[in-house]
Amino acid sequence: MNKKNQVAITLGLMCFILTALIVVQVNTINNANSAIGQARNENDLRDEVLKWKEKYDVTYSNLEKAEKNLENLRQNASNNDETTKQMEEELKTANKLLGLTELTGDGIVITLEDGTDLIHQEDLIYVVNELKNAGAEAISINGQRLVSTSFISCDGNVILINGNKIGTPFVVQAIGYPSTLYGALMRNGGYLEKLQDIGIKVETKKVENIVIQKYNGIIDSKYMKVVE
Amino acid sequence: MVIIAIIIGCLVGILVGMNTPIIPYSMSGYLAISIIAALDSVFGGINSSIKGNFDLKIFVSGFFVNAILSILLTYLGERLNVDIYLAAIVVFVGRMFNNLGYIRRHYIEKWISRKNKEEKNTNEKGV
Repeated sequence: MNKKNQVAITLGLMCFILTALIVVQVNTINNANSAIGQARNENDLRDEVLKWKEKYDVTYSNLEKAEKNLENLRQNASNNDETTKQMEEELKTANKLLGLTELTGDGIVITLEDGTDLIHQEDLIYVVNELKNAGAEAISINGQRLVSTSFISCDGNVILINGNKIGTPFVVQAIGYPSTLYGALMRNGGYLEKLQDIGIKVETKKVENIVIQKYNGIIDSKYMKVVE
Repeated sequence: MVIIAIIIGCLVGILVGMNTPIIPYSMSGYLAISIIAALDSVFGGINSSIKGNFDLKIFVSGFFVNAILSILLTYLGERLNVDIYLAAIVVFVGRMFNNLGYIRRHYIEKWISRKNKEEKNTNEKGV
């Protein structure tokens, strides 16, 4: 019996030391800022990205509210005066052409998806060029409006448009005369046919009342000046 | 008795561990290896108590010597830029599995023999 007690006490004491050490160790690891494994590091980064994204969304919705307010104020101000009304119209037209307003109209939607071959930025550039050649008035790819300062470039396994990362599938929306746009892109020997031949899934549809998002960025100029 | 002592030890250990200040991060590697050593000792202790050849002196000295050697190995590995502590972990964990195997076999055999006895009893009653 004495021996058994001895065993029990020793093992109990051992377990006490063991669990105390484990808890201390776990606390230490949890408190340490430097991550011990890559997985932990990645998870932290992911959390941070999500947090920033949420912040961005909130700020963006605030901005939209403020812009609507501004629009209302402008309208109120121009209600009284004929010249301001004219200026308001001009401003609207300018914004429309610059890509700073949401637009709607008939046109086509092209969906490009990676198949046996991948889509590269040149493919999108070609498609956009053909659309412009066929008289497209407003183009957006995956919600990124193409404006005068837009660029399409390669960034590893994604494509950058206006500095935003987008990935496959690419949805190209274009407002213009639907039949002309459709014909220009789907003609025999056209670029979309070539893409289909190398194994990219292409789908083209004429759609009525496409809504194209406005450009989110800022169009700025630093070096150009108007000639007097 | 042994099981109760282990449970009480674990509970008190958690309580004490919660209230202990944390140690420097650079020391946590050494603490980790000593935790593995302690775990190995506990399994060894349970195993020997089942076998009935538990010896306090061997148990305690085994724990301290093992822990100190593994900590020294970790330190040496850090100096030499070789993860020697992995070797200690492999040995400890391997022994843990061995001990666990003995414990498991012991209890399963006990259980089976008890079952056999019960079956015998019911058979005799049935006859």
